[in-house]
Amino acid sequence: MTTTLTSPAGASLAPASTGGGLARKQNFLTGIIGGFVFGFIAWALSHHFFDNTSRSYSDLVTTFTSIGWMFGFWLGIGALNGPFAWLIGSDQTRADQLYYAGENQGKVRYWKYCTDHKVVGVQYIIMTMVLLGAGGLMAMGIRTELVAPGTHFVNQQVYNGLIAVHGMLMILALIVAVAGPWANFVLPIMCGARDMAFPRLNALSLWTLVSAAFLLLSTLAVGSLPVGWVVLAPITNQAGPGMDFFAMAIVVFSVSTTVAGVNTICTVMTMRTKGMTLSRLPIFVWGSMIAAALGLYAFPYFFLVETLQLLDRTESTSFFSAAGGGEGWLQANLFWLMGHPEVYVILIPAVAALFEIASVMSRKPVFSYRTAIGGMAGLAGLSILVWAHHMFTTGWAPTLGGPFMVTTELISIPTGVFFLVLVGTLWRGHIWMKLPTYWMFGFIANFIIAGITGIYLSDIPIDNEFHGTMFVTAHFHYVFVGSVLFGAIAALAFWYPKVTGRYLDEKLGRISFWLTFAGVQITFMAMFVSGLKGMPRRYASYSMLFEHSNFVTTVGAYTIMAGMLVLLGALITSWNKGEASGPNPWHANSLEWMVPTPPPLENFDVLPVITSDPYNYGEEKVNS
Amino acid sequence: MSHVDTHSEVHGHDEGHHEPPEVVDGRQRMAIWIFIFGDVIVLSAMLFTYLYLRGLNVGGHWMSMWGFQGKSYAQYENLANGSGLPAATLIHIKPMSASFSWLVTGVTALSALVVIFAERALRVAKNVRGFASLSAIATIIAVVSCVLSVVQLHHIPQIFTANNDSQVMAYTAYSSVMMIFIGSSLVHLAILVFLGLGLTIRASRGVLNVEKWYQARLVRLFWVWVAVTAVIVSALTTTINTIH
Repeated sequence: MTTTLTSPAGASLAPASTGGGLARKQNFLTGIIGGFVFGFIAWALSHHFFDNTSRSYSDLVTTFTSIGWMFGFWLGIGALNGPFAWLIGSDQTRADQLYYAGENQGKVRYWKYCTDHKVVGVQYIIMTMVLLGAGGLMAMGIRTELVAPGTHFVNQQVYNGLIAVHGMLMILALIVAVAGPWANFVLPIMCGARDMAFPRLNALSLWTLVSAAFLLLSTLAVGSLPVGWVVLAPITNQAGPGMDFFAMAIVVFSVSTTVAGVNTICTVMTMRTKGMTLSRLPIFVWGSMIAAALGLYAFPYFFLVETLQLLDRTESTSFFSAAGGGEGWLQANLFWLMGHPEVYVILIPAVAALFEIASVMSRKPVFSYRTAIGGMAGLAGLSILVWAHHMFTTGWAPTLGGPFMVTTELISIPTGVFFLVLVGTLWRGHIWMKLPTYWMFGFIANFIIAGITGIYLSDIPIDNEFHGTMFVTAHFHYVFVGSVLFGAIAALAFWYPKVTGRYLDEKLGRISFWLTFAGVQITFMAMFVSGLKGMPRRYASYSMLFEHSNFVTTVGAYTIMAGMLVLLGALITSWNKGEASGPNPWHANSLEWMVPTPPPLENFDVLPVITSDPYNYGEEKVNS
Repeated sequence: MSHVDTHSEVHGHDEGHHEPPEVVDGRQRMAIWIFIFGDVIVLSAMLFTYLYLRGLNVGGHWMSMWGFQGKSYAQYENLANGSGLPAATLIHIKPMSASFSWLVTGVTALSALVVIFAERALRVAKNVRGFASLSAIATIIAVVSCVLSVVQLHHIPQIFTANNDSQVMAYTAYSSVMMIFIGSSLVHLAILVFLGLGLTIRASRGVLNVEKWYQARLVRLFWVWVAVTAVIVSALTTTINTIH
């Protein structure tokens, strides 16, 4: 592995740290301790001061405890140091900045509030894997329960809780699965920048997300969330304090994504190096920016709707309660105004990463670069006009069903553009069948199924039949597992050598690919069959009619798990013992491959000047 | 690597990579505008909530709810678990005071006006002391607005309701939306107080000087936006509130 942390000739070492006392000792552990201490204090105070005869009592106590946890965690990890220092006019010195960027701190910096974008990127990788692992374990619990008719291991309440927390954990994990690691690790380098536009905000977005993830997992300890991941009102009235943890986690998560989105857009728009015009930007940068912009539109709705849920529970407001003039459909509208764009916040970065991979691995420029950008922007734009298709069967505004059906079907046009660009890029290229390429082809195959079944569901007559069945579950799992997860793993395999200086083990990686690919087909094809037979979602037990398809689905799920475990093994073993890759293993042209591996602090000693786009593969041959 | 050339600037880590103030200003201004965009989405969703619930007037309960007369349930606390309560009646509430709402808005707008003058004092007149004084005044006015908002929160109409063995002071849809408007305003005002305090301290300590006037402009942008939202919310909630 090549390790380079360069200073230019003649430059002296960074000035010594100016101290910093306790602030320099803060890390993940102090964050946890702070969270527990302040959470306990908030719990004790709220116990003492709130009236325990009020029906909001337990919700108030839970909400204040979660606020205490958040505040304590942020205080303990050091997230509040910057704002406090700004307040008292004590700006960071250069030495402070370098310290917080983790200079000369080795692996410890990965457990700290580190501002270096590459460290934040690796932290996102770890967090994504933890979230996917936790959500995956819950999925296995669900599938084990469903292996045969009847109730086996968990009751309906626990089952519903598993469904809800599994769903939301996976959604959060996939939102950050590509954008988190790679819009942090490689995006600034791709732009020719020394860091993100706002390094401290970058760390803030990561650690606020970590604190929210803790709360989300904590729902399992306080009565879980037996109301499904969309937490529709007024059924949420039946949920225990887990609902408060959930809502607070989402509020904080929304703040985190907003901060991250602002940072991504500002980095791309204002930090590009000389010559890096918008038309020369790597396509992944475009995808990340479009997804960030879409997130800025979508997640404020999530923030608001969960705030309103919290107020209904803690303050006895009536946003969603008909007894006080509220309405459940309001919650559904606000939720899905976020919910559908969120799918594309997840999907677009993965597709954009695949455009990069397709170009590099086929040694061809991205086919119709501008159309690809137009497709991503078009998808983002259309996605904000389709939310009510999630409510076709609810009875809300039936006259709007037609227009929403049309806008939903229009989505297939920019989605088709994705296929066109991917296939066009690969067409007649000299395709290098390495690990990222395998996962990319897996994405293409699965996304075709995901897309086509989506068209069925956008039609009101068919949706009336399929809504609430396992057909819908199979469809969106083809989107999230078959497509986004495959795209995310392709991106991981592609940029892994840039992070570690080593290839991801090709043999283990291919075993993982084939297991996962086969597992996805077995699991979700059988789930389609269950859905076509009419099996409803969200039930721990089912009729004998669905016995065989559910058994096959569970076998498939275990196959996916085996594939993921092999991948995890490959990631761990390759990190230290993998084949050395050098700085540019794929002979790519974009800037992240031009810097040493791992990239040095602040990325470039000499700022590059860009004179053409990064996809000029084969031009020399043509010109000669 | 044919598309990459080298740049003549070489920096060491110790000296930092200093960027011209206008570059930093442009980046931070863009960030503020994007944050404001996010805030616009939240505000528009809140306005949608208000108009949606008022327009539907579900069950005629926009401003009414079944409950018990009285301003608190303390008067009933001698009744075990609410079991001896009288029969519930449909209780109607009145809209909140429009003049008080405009008072809070006016105070917030005044604080924004002072911040505009403060920023001008720094940018045009290069008067750091004047800036510090004016930003301190703006902060104090924002604190007053905070206090008035808390008073407003306390005056949101509530209705005493009982359900099975629990009892609570509940809010109708109208009161609920007013709570979210006032609560949101209070959060924004708290941020303004933090920013105003920071500007004052930083200017007093010489950290914020005439060369860094753009920092004051960033705060001014957000401050004015908060005042604009206050005007929008007041205009809506004091004109379109009751159901006729």
